[in-house]
Amino acid sequence: MTHSLHRSGMHQDTDYVFLLYHVKGINDQNVVERTRKAIDLAENAGAVNWGDVKTGPVVSVPSEEIKAKLTPASRIRGAFTSRQQVVRYLKSMKEADLGLCLVIAGPLDEVFSACHETGLEPHTNNYALGIFGKTERLADEDTRAITTMCGHHMVPDGVVVKMQERVNKGKISPEKASLKLAALCPCGIFNQKRAEHLLREKKEHS
Amino acid sequence: MKIDAEKCIGCGTCIPYCNVEAISMNEDDEVAVIDPDVCVECWVCYNNRVCPKDAIEPTPLDTHDKIFKHVLSDPTVTSKGTGIPGRGTEEAKTNCVTGRYGRDIYGICVDMGRPGVGCTMRDVEKVAMALAPTGFRFVGPEENPIATLMTDFKTGKFRDDVLDLHVLSIIIEGSVKRSDVKPVLEALVRVSKEIDTVFSLGIVSMKIDDDEQLMKTLDECAIPRPTRGKVNVGLGRPLFTG
Repeated sequence: MTHSLHRSGMHQDTDYVFLLYHVKGINDQNVVERTRKAIDLAENAGAVNWGDVKTGPVVSVPSEEIKAKLTPASRIRGAFTSRQQVVRYLKSMKEADLGLCLVIAGPLDEVFSACHETGLEPHTNNYALGIFGKTERLADEDTRAITTMCGHHMVPDGVVVKMQERVNKGKISPEKASLKLAALCPCGIFNQKRAEHLLREKKEHS
Repeated sequence: MKIDAEKCIGCGTCIPYCNVEAISMNEDDEVAVIDPDVCVECWVCYNNRVCPKDAIEPTPLDTHDKIFKHVLSDPTVTSKGTGIPGRGTEEAKTNCVTGRYGRDIYGICVDMGRPGVGCTMRDVEKVAMALAPTGFRFVGPEENPIATLMTDFKTGKFRDDVLDLHVLSIIIEGSVKRSDVKPVLEALVRVSKEIDTVFSLGIVSMKIDDDEQLMKTLDECAIPRPTRGKVNVGLGRPLFTG
């Protein structure tokens, strides 16, 4: 999946995704225990959202429940809101030496400099080269800035548009609206803080 | 997915929850209906219990097409072929321990229909057939569900009976020798003008230098240099279960 690769729009410097992986037969020894530890470290570093696609995101499911339901098939992903949080996480993961594969998605300059600051040398990069084809069929940029935070597109364009309308009319706060949107993304990579910022900003300009 | 006309009160709450505009009001504007040919079985409307009357119900996943669409479009479902939830590819994520994309090759991920447009397999085939003669090597069915529908890896041809299948998104993943990447990128730029959807493009590079050569190739293909990406930070290491 490349569902964290193609985020777009404003304020991407407040939006970083972490993804934890392992491979059966290579680095899956005691993987549940090690994943749990990696989640603790992400929480300590300030992750605003995270989840296991099979159980749900921490914005809707208690952290302890997700951790208790981890299995060797679990895939953990989450979101940070600053480069500083990424640095904190990289430092703690390097120190813990859990052997899990860790991927950070975000603005390349920021991610590379975070790696450099931590003394980590990126192993492999997946570069986002943009959108091709009938781009006139895409939703508008403001909507995509929010929907692409769930790369699986479990946050439909129409729901974002409706939610923005409700925010603009004062029927729901940007904070509550962003949490409702985040709950639609089962992986936990939706950054509700950035969504809140985007919804509020658009309301102010409406 | 279907809507029980007996339960539906015609409030229209479910309509914005459809990713592909498969839900609409019926001719009399009394109840909502789902067009099964357009529906991609993502189950967003059902999984989130958006209907106040619980009128949205899954139809049995009793055909290969329905199962395939559901596996590709709902990330909570695991593909039996790959063992990975969702559309399932590993691209750069585990490369630090698998080395599947080594020093001499790039990985290519063509994310068809994304973001949020959807696509038919006919368009997927067009792109695959454009890639096939360029030195692009498709990954196999053990790594990507799409390969189960391909009848010829040399030409990129898919089964005729699946060409009208409508999916939310699907990834064409493969690799190319670093020296052959330009024809692949040129083919993608060319075919992008012939499809009725969009694709998001990613290129996977094991870091052996600053990738300046790749960036120059992008310049030559008029593809803007990337500003964002996914970085495998290299913390994986072997820990065998034995």
